[in-house]
Amino acid sequence: MSLFWIVIRELAEIEAMATSKKVITREDWEKRLNDVKIRKEDMNKLVMNFLVTEGYVEAAEKFRKESGTDPDIDLATITDRMAVKKAVQAGNVEDAIEKVNDLNPEILDTNPQLFFHLQQQRLIELIRNGKIEEALEFAQEELAPRGEENQSFLEELEKTVALLAFEDVSNCPVGELLDVSQRLKTASEVNAAILTSQSHEKDPKLPSLLKMLIWAQNQLGEKAVFPRITDLSTAKLEDPPV
Amino acid sequence: MDSSLTLSLSHTNSDTHDLIGTYFLEQWRLKSKAAVRKSESVMGVSENQYLMEIDSEECEEEKEELPTELDTLHSSGGFSIVGSDKLSVRYPNAHLHGHDVGVVQANRPAPCKRLVYYFEIFVENAGTKGQIAIGFTTPGFKLRRQPGWESNSYGYHGDDGLLYRGQGKGEAFGPAYSTGDTVGGGINYASQELFFTKNGTVVGTVFKDVKGPLFPTVAVHSQHEVVTVNFGKRPFVFDLKAYEAQERAKQNSTIEKLSIPQNASYGIVRAYLQHYGYEDTLKTFDVESRSTLPPISFVQENGFAEDVSVYSLNQRKVLRQLIRSGQIGDAFGKLRELYPQILQDGTSAICFLLHCQNFIELVRVGKLEEAVLYGRTEFEKFYKLGDYDDLVKDCAALLAYEQPQKSSVGYLLGDSQRDIVADAVNAMVLSTNPSVKDSRECLHSRLDRLLRQLSACFLAKRTFNGDQGEGFHLHRILNSGRKG
Repeated sequence: MSLFWIVIRELAEIEAMATSKKVITREDWEKRLNDVKIRKEDMNKLVMNFLVTEGYVEAAEKFRKESGTDPDIDLATITDRMAVKKAVQAGNVEDAIEKVNDLNPEILDTNPQLFFHLQQQRLIELIRNGKIEEALEFAQEELAPRGEENQSFLEELEKTVALLAFEDVSNCPVGELLDVSQRLKTASEVNAAILTSQSHEKDPKLPSLLKMLIWAQNQLGEKAVFPRITDLSTAKLEDPPV
Repeated sequence: MDSSLTLSLSHTNSDTHDLIGTYFLEQWRLKSKAAVRKSESVMGVSENQYLMEIDSEECEEEKEELPTELDTLHSSGGFSIVGSDKLSVRYPNAHLHGHDVGVVQANRPAPCKRLVYYFEIFVENAGTKGQIAIGFTTPGFKLRRQPGWESNSYGYHGDDGLLYRGQGKGEAFGPAYSTGDTVGGGINYASQELFFTKNGTVVGTVFKDVKGPLFPTVAVHSQHEVVTVNFGKRPFVFDLKAYEAQERAKQNSTIEKLSIPQNASYGIVRAYLQHYGYEDTLKTFDVESRSTLPPISFVQENGFAEDVSVYSLNQRKVLRQLIRSGQIGDAFGKLRELYPQILQDGTSAICFLLHCQNFIELVRVGKLEEAVLYGRTEFEKFYKLGDYDDLVKDCAALLAYEQPQKSSVGYLLGDSQRDIVADAVNAMVLSTNPSVKDSRECLHSRLDRLLRQLSACFLAKRTFNGDQGEGFHLHRILNSGRKG
């Protein structure tokens, strides 16, 4: 063992003594890692779940062929879902609403908040395109009645209509509504609602597992000093900090 | 080139071969053992399946024996009579002394390598006084005392609904219970609490200060009292699954608040596809991710990791396709042509894996005579080595059955066996990359390493916690959240 590692280990032990934490050496830890049994099929499923949930339909199809992993959803439904998502992202909200209803009319019927957000996005797009009269008419006829039912809808409506009061919307307090991030937010809400309607979880499992890893390392870190993975993108095992 | 250098190089090579080949042989052995277990349980060898956690194939080490019946050996002699089914207790005679409690513990302590343990009693007859108790006690508990009367014991008492935990006086806890009620006792290892239920509803929780093993315990204390116990053989009145889900959700909401770098998952999936040579998927994935909104701004990680994983991507893809479609001969040919060093040692684990697969493919298509011949020429040298006996036997056993798919070695004909061979070859090819310093990096994808780390953390944490609590079960997580 090189002198460097001896020093590192000694420092780690000193730190551990100071905090009365147990030290798990790299050697011991690697042995534990080797004893863990992770099934290839399960990893394949995890990857498939990511592709499917995130809407990589072609990749999911290829992955099915290459790995023999069955997707947990009918791949055809991904195409429809992605078409809706893309329509919202491109600002074609009417088109998106129609597509959602084609897919399953219950989605919007049972989800007033989502429907309101889509209508709100439609209003935003009208304002963006300078169709002021049409925007006002739409706000009064379609959105205002819904605002009466729900206080938070009303607030959001007022905020959106406020866009009309500013000449330079890019610099106004509600300008973020015109930002692309607003479209993405609405698109992701629709996406989640469609997945839920298909009895599928709205989020892929992989990001949650990564968070769980950080959590588990922190939890163990309260009791012991052990080699951690701090950089998820390399997954390199690091010696305990000194 | 210096001859000593060549020597040392070839030495490293054979070490590499051993390491990778042995790893995949172990993967095979895991399947083999699982198949044996499965066929045993189908044949009815392990009759009391619910004793063992059979739902979790992946966590053999997690098997803990569960309490199944009442302990008749140590039960308090004349003051309680355990029924012949060992699942019911009856208080016998009238007018006994006040200390003559009939206490019975379960035959085993509550298992602890899990989120929750739970059992139920049904009060068939509350007798003259209804002095029934349900609770948990430590080994060596005085079996003439109500659970809760002594320190290190807990009891929820039927006559007053109080909770006793070794402090002389009971404390207000839940409702009283009597004839016709179902009462349950549980241990929540995540919150370190005990909880009790009445007719399917949680009535209260109490902190569990005992760290060691706890036995499910019931007590009867007045004439005609009869209680039956359910250790899980029959469905519980209480919805345990829902309770567990709720406990997990609590933990998950903490976890979900943590943040991870944007696109971390994306990068890990991409690296996975590269690692295993899923080239077609990778290319499509890249095309599709370019058209997403917002476009994935994935920062390329340091060049080294990328280089290692894209190394001979296309060749690895082709080899995988050949093996997955059963064309082992062609895979051999391809390897001989492109990576002869992999096949150099004819008795290596990788050669063994390929020969076995070739044999399996012959059996699959019904070329049994050819298979016998092939086995005779190829297996002998491996059999002599001794390391492969068990696996050679598994392969040979295929010949014994008219319908090998349905036999205990039927797993050999499954897709996953081809996958093991394909993954082994993939790792071997990766290890021929001159820039690979340690062949262990060829074994595991980044995803694999992260999941291993996650699992190891759970296990280490549990060890610090007196072996209490859940391990990490990817399988369970994958199957959760699926409705309908």
